Amino acid sequence: MMREIFEKVLKNKKDKADYIEIRAEKKEFTTIHFQGEKLEKINCSQQIGGDVRALVKGGWGFISFNQFDNLEEKVSEAIEVARLIGKEESRLAVNSPVVEIIKQDLDKDFRQISLREKKELVGNYNNIIMNFSPQIQSSKVIYTDKFSTIYFANSEGSYIEQEKPFLSVSFTAIARKGDNVQIANESIGTTKGFEIIEKISPKAQRAASRAVNLLRAESVEGGEYTVILDQILGGVFIHEAFGHLSEADFLYEDERMSGLMKLGKKFGSPKLNVVDDGSIPNLLGSAKYDDEGIRTRKNYLIKDGILVGRLHSRETAAKMGEEPTGNARALNYRFKPIVRMTNTYIENGDTPFEDLLSGIKKGIYAKDCYGGMTTFEMFTFSAGEGYMIRDGKIAEPVKDVVLSGNLFTTLLNIEGVGNDLKMIESSGGCGKSGQGPLPVSFGSPHLRIKKVVVGGK
Amino acid sequence: MEKYLQQVGKKVDSAELFKVKSKTVPVNFEVNRLKSIDISESEGKALRVINQGRIGFSSFTGSEDFDLMVEKAVATSEFGVKASFDFPEKIEGGKKEKVIVYDEKVVDKSIEEMVKVGENIIERVKDFNPKLRCDVTILKDYSEVEYANSRGGSFSYNKTAIVYSMMVQQIEDQDMLMIYSSLESGEDKLNTEELVSEIMENIKWGEKIVPINNGKMPAIFTPKAALTLILPVIRGLNGRMVWEKISPLANQKNKKLWSQLLTLYNDGTIDFALGSAPFDDEGVEMKKYPLVEKGEIKNFYYDLQTAGMAGVESTGNGLRAGIQSEPAPTLNNLIMEEGTVSFSEMIEDIKEGIIIDQVLGLGQGNIISGAFSNNVQLGYKIENGKIIGRVKDVMIAGNAIEELKNIIALGDKSRWISGKYKFPHIYLKSLTVSTKGN
Repeated sequence: MMREIFEKVLKNKKDKADYIEIRAEKKEFTTIHFQGEKLEKINCSQQIGGDVRALVKGGWGFISFNQFDNLEEKVSEAIEVARLIGKEESRLAVNSPVVEIIKQDLDKDFRQISLREKKELVGNYNNIIMNFSPQIQSSKVIYTDKFSTIYFANSEGSYIEQEKPFLSVSFTAIARKGDNVQIANESIGTTKGFEIIEKISPKAQRAASRAVNLLRAESVEGGEYTVILDQILGGVFIHEAFGHLSEADFLYEDERMSGLMKLGKKFGSPKLNVVDDGSIPNLLGSAKYDDEGIRTRKNYLIKDGILVGRLHSRETAAKMGEEPTGNARALNYRFKPIVRMTNTYIENGDTPFEDLLSGIKKGIYAKDCYGGMTTFEMFTFSAGEGYMIRDGKIAEPVKDVVLSGNLFTTLLNIEGVGNDLKMIESSGGCGKSGQGPLPVSFGSPHLRIKKVVVGGK
Repeated sequence: MEKYLQQVGKKVDSAELFKVKSKTVPVNFEVNRLKSIDISESEGKALRVINQGRIGFSSFTGSEDFDLMVEKAVATSEFGVKASFDFPEKIEGGKKEKVIVYDEKVVDKSIEEMVKVGENIIERVKDFNPKLRCDVTILKDYSEVEYANSRGGSFSYNKTAIVYSMMVQQIEDQDMLMIYSSLESGEDKLNTEELVSEIMENIKWGEKIVPINNGKMPAIFTPKAALTLILPVIRGLNGRMVWEKISPLANQKNKKLWSQLLTLYNDGTIDFALGSAPFDDEGVEMKKYPLVEKGEIKNFYYDLQTAGMAGVESTGNGLRAGIQSEPAPTLNNLIMEEGTVSFSEMIEDIKEGIIIDQVLGLGQGNIISGAFSNNVQLGYKIENGKIIGRVKDVMIAGNAIEELKNIIALGDKSRWISGKYKFPHIYLKSLTVSTKGN
């Protein structure tokens, strides 16, 4: 039905713009939120919305809406706005039209699970945290499931329907001793069925025990250290600090930026390989087609330490004379597709974890992540858990470990790449240009980096 | 709306319907030229019910299937939290709007006019230095809010907002200087010049990169960076955090905790401030009241449900983060009272110190404990009473709850941030600074 509506409008309006696409999204979602001993919130909602994007002489017009009554009018409005902006030639990488309907079968479809069963499972996890120790002051457990169907059509004849399930549980434990309040998070996100979250008590326990352990940790002493990042932090690092700079929309109109990110430039030691791959089945960042209808694929960004690729939309690919990579993604119908990562990781090296540790006189083992942020070459992220490394051994726990630095120097300072790559799928996601959290996954083996600035007392 | 509510009122104890219709038009310039205009029209409804004493909630956009919405809200109420309040029967002042939050000129502002404003800003920056990269957004927003409950309470109002924001970037070798700033108001009366001149001054200060030492030193937070220190206070005064005893401020009411200079107000009654409205999102009048007075905590902020649990009155802070969210304690506008010392007098007072203007990682980490640790994305070094240049690769760290005890002075000129915070410069006696290569 969507297809007929879209195609009729596109047929009538096709000649008025260089390119038009229409998207619609239907989604239903459930949120269950425990806080402290109580069920804080339980919420079932439904959204229907859509958007139109039109390209005229290189300028894009975009409108999003909840009412489909006057779809043709919305298309006209998008074209009108595009005309205001367009002052050159429209350029989009060529793509042959695709017509495909992609269903997502779930082993245990969460839409068929009763609200009561979901609530009980989440309540049990919450109890695990609350009963872990008398020092646990409070908890937060948030369950979310979401099932979206996205309908896409463009003026070149593509029509794609894709189903996108998303399920996540996040655990927060808050421990307190006097004025000392500490927080630890654990989470899981998946595009698979309910079975994935049925047996995750260990994660709830881990959140609680980490929060309690942090009560005993001393604040880290600020300064410059050799640091070992675990797979989560390594993944966050490569996503936040490097991945975002590979997004071509930052580069293609900015000569100085593209100069910094020149292909062929040395970015790290020959051991360093970085990949973004949206075609891996069933990871959080995966889809068969991106939100411009381009097939996703495996893209090397750094190979043997050399910058070899970047992430594109159809527009950035055409403007930089490269191929589209399947990285145009929109958070939802409120947003136009922009260049985004999918599943980003550092490939395995060959150094076992123990060998990474050896020879570090005084360093930091930083694990897990509270959050990260970058502005171009500067990055900062907070470890969720930290330990001093003394004489090659993991020593006492430390807290408030915030790592910061310059991306280019830090990548060159990676002196060891582990052999234990793990892909991380969490409940959070990636934010860019107001579009977040977009589901992504990331991963890395353990990394050893020298000369990292750590903030602290 | 009343018709719907009568219908659902028969099935549950009581119910409320909240409806927002809005249109946002942002005109975006990137790398010195007009890049995109992304219009967003939205329409959504949220239904909250109290059924057998428990709260149920559902929200919808797009469809008009009211029965399904009722069914979902009732289904969630089975497991919902116990309601510790009921919807207000009378919503005072519902007809007469005391606070002004609507300017028709914003609604009528044409896209062409908005484009001109942006072009004008970019021209000014180009004249100043043609090598700068400039991104600008000129945005207007118009929304219609409607509320009614089955106990007879109802209100509605229209609201406008206009925003000019800009980011200027200068790249040399591997150094990137990035400065952002914005102005917000409900009234079409923003001053481009104010925005541009602030950024240019910052660029001049930042031309030279200078080294800074590790250790403790006096620090000035500009209004733009003040949230670094104030965010933990905002979180800690949240009635919900207090009720759960997560907040370290929970037992500190009426005790002198911070510097005498620190006075903070919640104020939802300021005309055209973005956080103002006649009522919060559940029909309680927005007010002006002190949160912190001369360093003493005077009030926490509450929505209806949290206030009911804590056995106090709602402070008019029940706001929704979106149509799919239930009301939660949220500040209207937060105003910090000004001091008496000018920014330049503060600088003159410092022998060796730092000015913090933009930080990375705001809100990251264990905020509720007061701890902060941020990269200084834009900061300047003061030597012998003068700004001598910009610092790089510098982290600041501390505990906001402690640092606010040591305020030497507050600025005599405060500035709106994000349209809902108003802060002066904050001058601290000492702050821990760490940097590369100690």
